[in-house]
Amino acid sequence: MQPLGKAASDDDRPLIERVRRGDQDAARILYERYFDRIYNYVYARLGRAEDAEDLAIDTMTRSLTRLDLFQDQGVAFSSWVYRIAHNATIDHYRRQGKAILVPLESATMPVSADPSELAVDQLSNEDLREALRTLTDEQQQVLILRFFQDLTAAQAARIMGKSVGAVQALQHRALGSLERVLQGRTNN
Amino acid sequence: MTPEVERLERLAERLRSIDPVMPSPGAKIRGWNLVLAAVEQSATVRSRTHPVRRLVLAAVAAAVLLVGGAVAASADSLPDSALYPLKGVVENVRGALAFSPSDKLGYHLDLARTRLTEAEAMITRHRIDLADVALSSLDDQLNDAALVVQSELQSDPALAASLEDRLAQAIATHDQQLAGLQGEVTNPAAIAAIMQARDRAAQALQTSNGKPSASPAGNGKGPSASPHPTPKH
Repeated sequence: MQPLGKAASDDDRPLIERVRRGDQDAARILYERYFDRIYNYVYARLGRAEDAEDLAIDTMTRSLTRLDLFQDQGVAFSSWVYRIAHNATIDHYRRQGKAILVPLESATMPVSADPSELAVDQLSNEDLREALRTLTDEQQQVLILRFFQDLTAAQAARIMGKSVGAVQALQHRALGSLERVLQGRTNN
Repeated sequence: MTPEVERLERLAERLRSIDPVMPSPGAKIRGWNLVLAAVEQSATVRSRTHPVRRLVLAAVAAAVLLVGGAVAASADSLPDSALYPLKGVVENVRGALAFSPSDKLGYHLDLARTRLTEAEAMITRHRIDLADVALSSLDDQLNDAALVVQSELQSDPALAASLEDRLAQAIATHDQQLAGLQGEVTNPAAIAAIMQARDRAAQALQTSNGKPSASPAGNGKGPSASPHPTPKH
């Protein structure tokens, strides 16, 4: 997997202060640090380059112009940026009139499918991405953050506002759901 | 490890192996331009809300009203307008107030953008002579911006790299616009002027990183063909 660039860190704090004072160079550094990651995150959710571009730009614009709303009290700037991206994605779905919180249990599941027969190595990247987009909002989010964005469970927990244990449990359920979706597609 | 956990681990590893989808360079540049515009606007709004600055701005606004609307009107004037010389005076005052390297660079890039807009307008009005002057001035601004970057190379290499990046982005954006313009015009003189402007803009980037430029003096028409020679820092 190609690196997505430097992950979020405490290095953001001095840059944020500089941006607050109107320093465009600092804004540029933060933009470079997060744009690719946010684009990748949004693309994984939407699957359309044009929409991902627009939402990534929108997210970075909001992040860097609404710093007065960001209070560095236990929430990292990176978590804040991801939350803005997540909210922008949800808004986008709403504008498009798409359902966003479809419980996986309500979807058609091949009950008799044998998951042990699923050859994950033979699945294309696009198959995996498409299958992932059929999961619930939270399940998509946890898998993207953990495996596409390569964040730790603790980082994902901070972004999602959950405990580490809850994120690990959610991740387990999400992988199980994804496996069933892939199995269903393979059988069909 | 149970078979189920093993399967899910394999699936997790497969997800990790998917290459990230990256934005196109064009999208990234477009994004930065939009973000920068929003950041600049946001900074302006913030400064307006500051009580002391608001007072100062009110005084300045009153002075501007006293002097007349001419100065304000000149801001959008074009080279074939009677108010255009006043625009140069205002620009020079702005330049004198740019102190930090970042501000200086922003000032020159801003003027370069303005000159490009003027050149486009003049070509539309078939004033190729004035378009040529505006394009020469655009290149002068980019060269001045390159000199700002160059002056920081020794003292603050990190800042110089950041400034050079901004300059490169601006030149790339201008070149895209000029290429589009070049494809739209049919007048040979206009095409030649645009091509020359693109060449010189590319040379400005070499100047910024200390490499010798093929045309360090600018456009070959003398020290400056700019309609508004800007203050050197």
